[in-house]
This record gives sequence, structure tokens and C-alpha cells, in this order.
Amino acid sequence: MIFSLIFWLVAIYIAMRGFSQRHRQMHRWLQRELPLWEEKNIINIEQGNTLLGLYKLKRLEPARKMDMAKALTLVGAIFVGLGVIFFVASNWQKIPAHLRAFMLLPITLFTLYAGYFFSYEKQGFSQLGRSLLLLASLFWGGAIALIGQIYNIPVSENWYIMLLWAFPIVPIAVFFKNDYVHILASFLFVIWNFLYTVNNNIANYYYPIIIFTLILPTAKNLIISRRINIIGLVGASLYCCFYKYEWLSLFISAGLLAHYLTQREERVYLYSACLSFIFWAITFFTIHQQQPNIYFLLPIGFILYLTYRDDLKENLVICLVGLMAWLNLTLASLSQIWGYAFDPLSFITFQSSLGIIIYNAGIISKKKGYLFFEVYKALGYLVTFTCTYLLSFRLVLETDTGKTNPAYLYASFFVTVIIILLIIDKARSGYFKNKDTRLELAALLATLIGNSIMLTNPQAVSVNTVVANAMLVIFALTNIFLGVEIKRPFVFTLGIVIFALFIITRYIDLGWKLKEKSLFFIVGGLIILSLGTILEKQRRKIIEKMNTQ
Amino acid sequence: MNKKIIVVIIGFLWVAISAGMIISKQHTLRTGKTVVLETVPVDPRDFLRGDYVVLRYKLSSLDLNQIESDKPYYRPGENIYVKLKPKGKYWEAADISGKKEAVADGTFLKGKVRDYDLKTRKLEAAYGIESYFVPEGEGKVIVKNMRGNKSSVSVEVLVDSSGSALIKKVYIEM
Repeated sequence: MIFSLIFWLVAIYIAMRGFSQRHRQMHRWLQRELPLWEEKNIINIEQGNTLLGLYKLKRLEPARKMDMAKALTLVGAIFVGLGVIFFVASNWQKIPAHLRAFMLLPITLFTLYAGYFFSYEKQGFSQLGRSLLLLASLFWGGAIALIGQIYNIPVSENWYIMLLWAFPIVPIAVFFKNDYVHILASFLFVIWNFLYTVNNNIANYYYPIIIFTLILPTAKNLIISRRINIIGLVGASLYCCFYKYEWLSLFISAGLLAHYLTQREERVYLYSACLSFIFWAITFFTIHQQQPNIYFLLPIGFILYLTYRDDLKENLVICLVGLMAWLNLTLASLSQIWGYAFDPLSFITFQSSLGIIIYNAGIISKKKGYLFFEVYKALGYLVTFTCTYLLSFRLVLETDTGKTNPAYLYASFFVTVIIILLIIDKARSGYFKNKDTRLELAALLATLIGNSIMLTNPQAVSVNTVVANAMLVIFALTNIFLGVEIKRPFVFTLGIVIFALFIITRYIDLGWKLKEKSLFFIVGGLIILSLGTILEKQRRKIIEKMNTQ
Repeated sequence: MNKKIIVVIIGFLWVAISAGMIISKQHTLRTGKTVVLETVPVDPRDFLRGDYVVLRYKLSSLDLNQIESDKPYYRPGENIYVKLKPKGKYWEAADISGKKEAVADGTFLKGKVRDYDLKTRKLEAAYGIESYFVPEGEGKVIVKNMRGNKSSVSVEVLVDSSGSALIKKVYIEM
């Protein structure tokens, strides 16, 4: 683990060195706007070039448009290529297998040369040439599969066929700048990695090395290919959790982060690095179940720093979810050490408390004028609401009743104390003077009190069911009143949706036990339809009123 | 670099790879010793190569309590060398080793450990002869016939001096 710390410290050092390029977003905006200003004759091309030169920027290449003829040659190439692969798969016996192989190989080579010829030797047929190069790459896959079929190479070694297909077509993608072949190769590498891991039961380090050193650097202007490879890498990290490959997910995460730090145009690198890092934390827990993971905090802190520095709203959500996952994994480790069993009630109420604290972070951020206050509020709300909704089911409250997990229980109370202190602080600063903030306070207190009642009295399932449902109704009502108060139709509609969800869920909950389910659905459907019509009418009236005001 | 040279290099690369695959398998076909193994088939389909029959051998699952081994345990992905000896009609595993030299005095198969259970000392291995490709639509028919008639299935395998194996024929005795 000490290596992991050293590694992250090195990564942080590298990042610090690159901090001079702080205005990346502004640069991107300028690159996008410039052609528009030139088109509208606000500035001329020379002035545009001067502006770009000032910031040492290059002109963005115009997006390539695909006409019908180009699309047809591409689709044609894909169809023919797939046809050949299906022909190989059919194992047609009328032509001997060896003869089929000796026919396919020259055809593949001929197509390869034709692709080159139309791309570079013959004027005006470059699209045909590109499609033929793709076709040659597909034929090559067919040829390899055919050889594998002739010699009965087992299906468990399909990874080997995928690799022999993918690698030799990379030079076409790179040297001939063929986007289609690049996408095909990226896709094949993803399949190769999956098959390799499944069939060999070992971590495939070759995959991220190939992608980081060969495929991603050559996919700079090719967004589809980049995304395929990023999805492949995140997928590889994800199944590290199941196969317990601790270092591989960490390696992938670090590689993605390094790519983000060197080419910050692609935000997805940071998102996927963060996701891979969370998968590493999960993998760490599956391997060292009784060892709380303290190594998580420093890197996630650094990722959070990058998130704020580069204004990446989406990544904040990933980081917060990661931190929640880490807290839960830590509590799960402590539960293992102390021998506490899992209990749904204390687990869900803990998540709910975390949701409230995230929501509070949003309130504080808004007050102090920090970035992303709405992200905190939205995520906090979503987490708390989801937990309350889950707790409103009697089945959840009944499961393992009375087996309260002390680790989660004390953690919930600890978080509750922090929330109360925050609320007192805000009350003293006069935050709750307005009607809208008082409504916020009502919802917060209702959730806190409800959670505390349920946690202190887990045996009383009936009482707790009523409490959780009351909390859900309070959620709906505060949203409706808050929506009217702050004149935000979205908040108001959300309240209506929660209310409708509450009615439908409870109806299904109660009616499901009835023997006559057809009648239950017909009557229920009619009631919901009528209720929906009335609610929708009222909702529209109020929203119209809000808009006119 | 000149594009024409690159396309020629790619062409040569493709020819070399396919020739390499063919030559290595042809070497086994030409020099291999024939052994017959008992097997049980099942019938899936591969997207790339069509219908095939999955062949599972007695050798696929080895009990180290019954077979001599020069190692106490094996890791998944590790190479193994299984010495074969004829027993009646079929060839069976005699010794198992992690080193080729230990079994090189006789006929042996090179395989890969798929799984090893430390408690039971049972080892799952693959030898590269677990799939037999058949014409489209025939896989299910073959397996159905074999199961219906409770017929015995054996596979004639060619094993070369390095332990690499290749399926020569599949025998179905109705």
C-alpha cells in the first residue's frame, strides 16, 4: 500500500507542474466562437489568427460531414465484411476449409491494396479507399477465424483470435488515419480483454498498457474511439471488483488520470479515472475485508481539487458517490472486525443522514458563494428521498428487525449531531427567517426526527412504517409549498410527483395481497387516472399563475 | 514513411501471422503422435466460427491425490505438462508436472491450469483441444444423437514433441 501512496504523490506532483494551463475552458470557448465571428464579419480571418496566436491556440477543424455516397460505401463495406464472417461461421463444407482459407487470404490482401490505391493513388475516391481498408480489416478477422476453425483452436482461446485480429489492423488505423479501422480495433481490444480475463482468470495488464500507450494517443481527434476505449477501461476496472484484481483497477485509474492531466480537453478521462478509483476501493474491500481503507482519502481529495479547479460539475457527483461508498465500506470493515451483522434499517438511515449532510453542504456553498451548490442540494435531496421511500415499505423495516448494527447506528447519530450543530449555526445567522428556508428546515427536521424514531425503536415495525410514510408526505408537501413560494415550477411538480408516487406505491402495497388482482388493477387504474387528471389540472393552473406573476 | 511501403509491410505482416498460425499447427499435424482420449460433448455456437462441439476430457479434471505431481499446488494460468500412458483403448494421465523436462521421456500434453482447489487437490486444466467445429446446424444434431443413444465419444488427437495437441478425428460410437 505504501507504493500506492508514493504513486499518488508522484501523480499529484505531475499535476502541479501542469497548472500553468488554467484557462483551458476559456480557450475552448474562443476556438468555438471564432469561426462564428468571422462568418458574421465581426472580425476578419487575419484578426482571428492573431487572436488564436495570442493564446497559442490552433484553429478547430470543421466537423466532417458525411454525404449519402460516403455512407453507402461504408455500410456496403460493413455488410460485405460481416457477410464473409458469417460465411466463415457457417463452415460450408462444399468448398474444403483449406481452399476457403487460401481464397480468403489473397482476397484480403487484394482489398488491402485496393484500399490503399483508392485512398492515395486514384484521385477523388478517398472515401471508397477508406471503406475498402475497413473491409480488408474485416476480411482479416474472417481469415484468422477461419484458420482457428480449421485447426479447432478452442473457444476458450477466442481472446487470442481477437488479439490477432485487432493488433495487425492498428497500423492501418494509425498510418492511414482510418477512423473506421481505429473504432473497429478499439472495439476488438475491449472484447479481447474481456475474453482474456474470463478465460484465463488472471488480471490483464497488457490491455491498459496497449490502450494508454498505443490506442488513446492515436485517437486524439476521434471521439467515438476514445469513448469506446474509456468505456473498455472503466469496464475492466469494474470487473476487478469481481475478480479481486486490486492493482489493475488502481493502475487503470492512475493511467486515466495521467491522460486527463496531459490532455485536459477530454473531461471524460477524469470522470472515468474517478469511477475506476471507486472500483478500486470496492476491490480493496473485497480483498481486505477487515482493513479500513485509509489510502482512499488522499487521491479522492486530489480528484475533488481537480473537479473544482476545472469546474466539472458531473465529476463532483461521482466524487460524492465515491465518498459515500468509501464511508459505507469503512463501516462494513469495522462491522466485520467487531462482528456486527448487516441490518437494512441502520444502513438506510445512515445513507439518509449522509444525504442531509450533503444537502447542508449545498446550503453552505450557496451562502458562501462557492461553486456547485445546486449539485450538493440535488444529490443530497435525491439520496434522502430515496432512503425515505425505501423505508416506507414495511418489508424493509421487517427484515432482520432488532438486529441493529451498532457501527451504522453510532455513525448515524454522529452525523445527526453534526447536522443539528449546522442547523443551529444557520439559525443563529438568521438563515431561516424566510418562508422558503423555513420550509427547508421543516423537511430537514422531519427527516432527522423520523430517522431518530426509527433507529431508537427498530422493533416497532408498524409505528416505523407510519413514521416513514409521514416523512414521505412531508417531503411531497414541502416541495409543493416551496415550489409555490419560490415560484419554481420544477420544485412544485416534483412535490406532485412524490405525492403521486406515494399514493401509487401504497395502493400497490396494500392491494397486492388481494386475491382478485384484476379488479384491483382496474379500480386502481381508474382511481389513479382520475386523480392524475385532477392533479394535472391543478398543477397547470398553479404554474400558469406562477408564470403570470 | 511512404504509404505504399506501409501497405506492403501490413500485407507481409498479415501473411506472416496467418502463415505462422498455419505452420505451427501443420507441424503438430505432421509430427504428432496419435493418442485417443475419452470425452463428453456439449453444443454451443461461436459468433465468429459457427457451430462447434465442446469436448470435455477425463484429463480436464485431474485429482492430484491419485496422480503423481512434483508440485504441491498450481496457480490458475500456469502451464502444466501431463504425461500420458495408454490404458486399454484410451490414453490417460500418468504424471503431472510444472516442468516439461520432468515428463519429456514419454508422450505428454501441454496444458494450462484453469482452477485449482487447495482442499480437494483437484485441478481443472485446458489443453487447446476443447472445441471441435462442425458445419452449421450439425452441432445440435450430433450432440442430440450422441445423448439419445448414450453412445461413447472419443477423440483422436495428435501430440507433437512440445506437448501441443490438435484434434484429428472425433469418433462417435452409436
